[in-house]
Amino acid sequence: MSAGRWNVLLGALGIALFLVLWEVIGRLGLGGISWPPLSAVLEMLADDSKWALFQRALAATLQETALGYIWGTAAGLGLATVAHLVPPLRRGSDRLAAVLNSVPSIALGPIFLVLLSRDSTPAAVSSIHVFFIVFVSVSSGLQRATPAHRDLFAVLGADRLKRFRRLELPAALPALASGLRLAWPAALIGAIIGEWFGASRGIGILIINAMQNFQIVLLWCAVLLAVGASLLFYGLLTLLERGAYARFG
Amino acid sequence: MERASGRPLLLRLVEDYWGILLLLLGWQLWVVLNRFNPIVMPTPVAVLGDLVAYPMVYVQSVGITLAVAVFGLIAGMAVGTGLAVAAWFSAVASGLLNPLTILFSSVPVVALIPVIARLLGYDTSTVLAIVVIITFFPSFVFASSGLRSPPPGSEDLFRVLGASRLSVLWRLALPAAMPNLAIAFKLAAAHAILAAMVAEFLMGTSGLGYLFAKTKSDFQTEQAFGASAVATVISATAFLLAGWVEKRVRERYG
Repeated sequence: MSAGRWNVLLGALGIALFLVLWEVIGRLGLGGISWPPLSAVLEMLADDSKWALFQRALAATLQETALGYIWGTAAGLGLATVAHLVPPLRRGSDRLAAVLNSVPSIALGPIFLVLLSRDSTPAAVSSIHVFFIVFVSVSSGLQRATPAHRDLFAVLGADRLKRFRRLELPAALPALASGLRLAWPAALIGAIIGEWFGASRGIGILIINAMQNFQIVLLWCAVLLAVGASLLFYGLLTLLERGAYARFG
Repeated sequence: MERASGRPLLLRLVEDYWGILLLLLGWQLWVVLNRFNPIVMPTPVAVLGDLVAYPMVYVQSVGITLAVAVFGLIAGMAVGTGLAVAAWFSAVASGLLNPLTILFSSVPVVALIPVIARLLGYDTSTVLAIVVIITFFPSFVFASSGLRSPPPGSEDLFRVLGASRLSVLWRLALPAAMPNLAIAFKLAAAHAILAAMVAEFLMGTSGLGYLFAKTKSDFQTEQAFGASAVATVISATAFLLAGWVEKRVRERYG
């Protein structure tokens, strides 16, 4: 058997062991009353009567996350581009991004609550998370074009904008794709935290309510839904990233 | 520093901090022009005033959160690196662990905080555990890939010279992993304090997150934003310091 296939097999075995361990600990009650067996959680997830609730929450959170993701990407890409084209702005925009990233998400909630509305707060918090990751990855990506390429463009008489469009931007696409992949879980976290500040529905609301009302299985269901939504899109974005590296890397 | 000292101080300040200054100015104008009640939204000047007037309110909370974040960061990185080294020794262990940790490191960990809080109980040690878990994943992932990517040919050289597995680890794999560990440190350092704050906020135990939740619900909004401002400064400083460490490590081992 080849080394690659052997590793895939081992990896699958590792994940299976983890799931079995989860089930056994839950069955034997080793984790206390807050650790239900995996089968109980899956049973509730498959329950038709609960499905309407899950679907509503999931749809709301995904919509907020997608909105925050788009806004954050636009802002990160925009600021990185401006800072790249206007060098004197670079240091200041680096610091701005670093400080914005350091503001605790729970403090962003109340600000957006006043600035926007209860139901746009999740997307706004999410966009701040995405902004930072996209800004950092695009900024470093835009500097990936080699000096030799730059010289060639200069010799052929390309102006600053043409050099940016034809050389630097394509060179930055793999870094952008990596940023987009890493930004998705961060976007989801932002939306979930944003929901805690009074959104009407969503996975974050489900998590908080289940936590406070001691609905343990429901809490695990909500967390599993969040994890599933994160992994699904993370996987898709990983494929996009591979494509970007293959074409522009 | 020498390089920059040629320019006047004011110009340097504007160049480095224009974004932050604009943000603060915009915030101040926004609050003043809308005549917001300070309970709804205080001005940055008022928040600063509160910080200066009542520093002692913040000191204790900062101490708790900072201690939890620092210990959690150290423990999380130690456990992550330790497991990565263990996995480096055994192909089977790394095959079992790698996909699982990559899976976990792409999970929105903040969503797990309520579950962890339920499992471990609502107290400060749970906040510590959450920071350890959150800093563990990047350390493990980055350390593993660093340990496995020594300079080309160097492993053959060690083998030809008859080096033991342990001395390969100590003299080749670990130094090769240092730049990656520094990246993990940078990612984890800023997150440690913010994760600690979210956990404190949710569980209402102690520290800056608790101070924020409590003052917010008591309508002492200035103090709530003061707590956030302190957290922002600490987290940004941690990020900058870690960036400096990363640069040094790259110069030494890169």
